[in-house]
Amino acid sequence: MNRYDLLRLPPVRAVLASRWPLLVIRAAALGGYLLVVVAGWVGTPVGNRNLSVVLVWIAWWALLILLAVPLMGRAWCSICPVPIPGEWLQHGAVLRPPPAGRRGWSLGKRWPKVLRNTWLQNAAFVIVTLFGAVVLTQPRVTALVLALLLLAAVLTSLIFERRAFCRHLCPVGGFIGLYSQAAPLELRVKDTALCAGHREKTCFTGSSDGYGCPWNLFPGGMVKNVNCGLCMECVQTCPHDNIALNVRPFGADLMQPRARRMDEAAKALILVGSAAAYSAVMLGPWSQLKTAAYSAGSAAWWAFALVFLTLVLGVLPAAFYLAVWAGSALTGSRRGGRQAFVRFAYSLVPLGMAAWIAFSLSFVFTNGSYFWPVLSDPMGWGWNLLGTADVPWTPYLTGILPPIQATVLLAGMAWSTGLTRRLAAERGPSPRSGRAAVPVILFHLATTAVLLWLLVG
Amino acid sequence: MASRRLTEWLGRAVVVLLAAGPPSAALLARGFEARGVVALQGVMPETGGWQPATLTATVGESIRLRLTSSDVMHGFAIGRDNRPPVDVRPGQVTDIMLRFDRPGTYTFYCTRWCGPNHWRMRGTIEVTGSAVAPDVSAPAPYLALGIDLDAPHPSGVQPDGIPSAARGAMLEAGVPEAYFARDYVRRHSPAAAWRAFRGDSGMRAYSDQQLWDLLASVWRRNTSAAALETGRRLYARNCAACHGPAGRGDGVMVAALREALRAPAEDAVGHSRNRHTVAKPADFTDPDFLGASPVLLHGKIVRGGMGTGMPYWGPVFTDPEIWALVDFLYGFQFAYDPQGGQQ
Amino acid sequence: MGRRTSGSWPWRRPLAASRVWLVAAATFGIAVAPLPLSSARPAERRVRIEASMAGFMPAAIAVNPGDRVTVELVSTDVVHGLYLDGYGLSVMADPGQPATLTFVADRPGTFRFRCSVTCGPLHPFLVGKLHVGSKGIVWRAAAIAALIAGAAAWPVRR
Repeated sequence: MNRYDLLRLPPVRAVLASRWPLLVIRAAALGGYLLVVVAGWVGTPVGNRNLSVVLVWIAWWALLILLAVPLMGRAWCSICPVPIPGEWLQHGAVLRPPPAGRRGWSLGKRWPKVLRNTWLQNAAFVIVTLFGAVVLTQPRVTALVLALLLLAAVLTSLIFERRAFCRHLCPVGGFIGLYSQAAPLELRVKDTALCAGHREKTCFTGSSDGYGCPWNLFPGGMVKNVNCGLCMECVQTCPHDNIALNVRPFGADLMQPRARRMDEAAKALILVGSAAAYSAVMLGPWSQLKTAAYSAGSAAWWAFALVFLTLVLGVLPAAFYLAVWAGSALTGSRRGGRQAFVRFAYSLVPLGMAAWIAFSLSFVFTNGSYFWPVLSDPMGWGWNLLGTADVPWTPYLTGILPPIQATVLLAGMAWSTGLTRRLAAERGPSPRSGRAAVPVILFHLATTAVLLWLLVG
Repeated sequence: MASRRLTEWLGRAVVVLLAAGPPSAALLARGFEARGVVALQGVMPETGGWQPATLTATVGESIRLRLTSSDVMHGFAIGRDNRPPVDVRPGQVTDIMLRFDRPGTYTFYCTRWCGPNHWRMRGTIEVTGSAVAPDVSAPAPYLALGIDLDAPHPSGVQPDGIPSAARGAMLEAGVPEAYFARDYVRRHSPAAAWRAFRGDSGMRAYSDQQLWDLLASVWRRNTSAAALETGRRLYARNCAACHGPAGRGDGVMVAALREALRAPAEDAVGHSRNRHTVAKPADFTDPDFLGASPVLLHGKIVRGGMGTGMPYWGPVFTDPEIWALVDFLYGFQFAYDPQGGQQ
Repeated sequence: MGRRTSGSWPWRRPLAASRVWLVAAATFGIAVAPLPLSSARPAERRVRIEASMAGFMPAAIAVNPGDRVTVELVSTDVVHGLYLDGYGLSVMADPGQPATLTFVADRPGTFRFRCSVTCGPLHPFLVGKLHVGSKGIVWRAAAIAALIAGAAAWPVRR
C-alpha cells in the first residue's frame, strides 16, 4: 500500500488530534487576519509598504500556491480564520462541544439543494479576478475584500449549518479544492467495512469530543480531497481511530472516476484561463491592458472584462470541448460528449497548477523583499519594530527565474499529458482508445506554448 | 463538567487575546502619536497636495515634521532657505526638525517632479512670536523699471552664428567699462545691448558677428562658473521638465499642458483651471529670446506666468539663485565655455 | 482494506523505459544545445525608454548579444526607475532629467525590466522586456513541449 499515515507519528497526533493546538493556531490566524484588515484600512495607501497587500498577496499567496497546495492540498483550510468566528457562534463554544441542550446562535438551515455545487465559487473567483489589478495593489480594497469574506462567512454560519461558506462560497477554497486532488496528502478512513458496521457515525454527527464534519462530508465515503478541509474534527470524534492522514503519490485523485463533476471541470478551465490572463496583464508589456484592468468601472475596464469573460468562459471551454470531441471522433466512439468533457478536464489540473506556480514565482521572487520592511513597519507609519524597515527592494534570483518558470510549466505539461493518456485508456486499454488523447494533448501543447510566451517570452 | 467549563473559558480568553490583540494594538498605536509632531502627508496636487498645507511655528522653537507620501516620490524643502531638501518616499516616513529664527511666512514645496502640477505642491509655515520684524525681500527690479512681463519681446536682430564668449573676450580691449557694469547688463536685453554696441562709434570696426561675440563675453563676465553651475542645477531640477533639457520648450510635461486645455474647469480639489491662457513653455533657443533682458527674465521667474502654466518662483528661490538661473538661460543662446556645451 | 483506492500509478500504462530515456536525452539536448550565434557584430545601441504611470514605451526591446546598450530613461510624469532582471542593473530618472544606463549585453536571453521607484497604483505592473539575441528560452521550451506532446501522443506498442 502506497499510503503512510502521518497520525502514526506522535508529534503529528499530538497537534492534530487534540483541540488546543488547532484552536491556538486558528485564533492566531484570526488575529493576523484582523490585523491585516486594520492595516489595510488605516495604514498607508501605498501597497508595497502596507502589511495587507504584502502579507496577503505576496507572503500568504506564495506559501499557498508554492508549498501548501501542491504538497498538502487543502491544508490552508484547516487553519483558515475566515469561518472560525461564525463557527464559534454556531456552536456557542470555542473549544469542545457544549453539553447537550446548549446551542449556539444559528438557524441551522440546510444549504439550498440547487446551490449544492461550486458554481458560486467559480463565479466568485471570476469576479475577484476581474477586479484583481485593484485588489492586489490597494490596501483598502484588500481590507474590504477580506472583511467582506469574513462577514459573509459569519452570516452564512448564522443562517446555515456547518461550513456552508467554505464549501459553496469561498473563492479560494474553490481552486485549492480542485488542485488538492493532485497533492500527496489525503484524509481517508482506514477500513470502510468498519464504518459500515458503526451505527452512530459520530464523524458526521459529532460527539462530546468534537463536531461532525463541518464540510458536510461522510469520511467513510470520501474518495477525493476536493471538499475536505483537513479540520481534524472526524479524527477526534471517531471512536475507533479509523481515520488516517495519509501521505500518498501525487495526483491520486485525478484518475478517480467517481464524483467527476461539471462544476469542477469548469473550474479547471477557468483557472487555466485566469492564469494566462493574470500573466498577460501583470507581466506583459501592454500598458493599455494594464490600465484597462486597473481602472475598474471605466469603459476600458468593461471592454477588458468582456474580452476576459469571452476568452475564459467561452473560447477556452469551446476549444477544449472541440479537442475532446475530436478525440472521441478519432476513436469512433459514440459516447456522450459531456461525460468525456468532464473526464478530460481533470487533465488540466497539473498544467493549471503549474501555470499558477510559474506565474506566482515571478512576482514572489521580484517583490518578496517587500516582506522585510513591512514586518517592521506594517502600517507605513515610520515604525521600525525589528530593524528591517530600511531594507531596500531587491528582486531575488531574476537571472534563473525564466528557466525555473519554463521547467515548472513543462513539468506540469508532462504530467498533464501523461494523465490524458491514462484518462483516455480508462474507456478500455485498446490502441484506438488512446487516440482520444491526441487532440487533448495538442490542447495542452497550445496552452503551454501560450503560457511560455506570456511568462518567459 | 466544571473543568470543561473552565477549559472553555480559558479557550475564550486565549481567543480574545490572540484574535483581538494584534488589531487592537494596531488601532491603539495609531492614537499614540508623539506630542509636538506634525504629520505632513504629500500626494500629487491633483488629489490634494500637502496635507495640511498651512503650519504654524514659534520663533526659536523646533517643530518636528513626519513627512510621508501616499502615492509617488516627492521631496520637501523650505523656500529661500539653504537647508538641503529631503526625499519624501511613498509609504515611508522622513523625520525632520525645523527651527526658524526669524518670524514670517515660509513656503515649503515639493522638490521632485510629481506630475504637471508639481510646482503647485506648496504650503506655508507661519512663524510668529517675536518682536523682530520679518524679513521682507526687496521688490523685484522689473516693478521699479515698469517692465511689462507679458508683452512679447521680439529681438529684431539675430546673430548669424552662435556668439562665443571666448572669441568675444579677445575683443574686449577698448570697450567702454560702462557696458560691463552689472546694472547695464541686467537692464538690457542682448538685442538692445547689441544695438547699443552697433551704434557706438568706438566699435564701428567690428563686424556684426564680432559684436555678438563681444556681447556674449560681456554677459559671461557678469556671471561666474559657480553661478552657471548653480543655474544649470536649478534648471535641470525645476525647469527642464517643461522647457526641455535643451531649452527648446519641448519638455515631457508639454503633453500634459496640452491636456489641460481639454480638461474640465476645476481639478479634483476645486482649483479652477485657467484653460484658456495655458501656453507652450518658452523656447530659449528661439532668436526672440535675445529680446528679453535679465531683469525681465528675473521678473518672469519671480512672478510666474499668470495662468500660462509658468510657475512663480519668488517664494522658492533666493535672489542669487534666480540671477544664477537667468545667467544660465542665456547659455542657450551664447557659447559660454570653449567646448560650447549648452547648445 | 474495504475498498481499493485509486492511486495514479496502478492505472498507468507505463511507457517503455527506452522511450522515457529517449525523451529525457532529447530534452537535455534541446535545453543545452548552443543556438547558432547571431552573426551580427556587436554594435553600439541607444534606446530611449519613456516611463509613465501607465507603462514603459517601448516595452519590448531587442538587441544582439555583445551589443553595448545605452538605455536612456525618460520619465514623463513622476519619478520612475528601471531595474533590469538578470543583469541586476538599475537607474532612476526625474521628469526633466533623463538618466542613462550603459552596459554590455553579454548574457543572452529574455529579461524583464521593471520600475524600481514606487510610482502610483500600477507600479508593480510596470514591466517591459529586453531580448538579447534570439528568444532562445522560448524556442527551446516550446521544442521540449512539442517533444513531450509527441511522446505522450505516440501510440504504445504492445
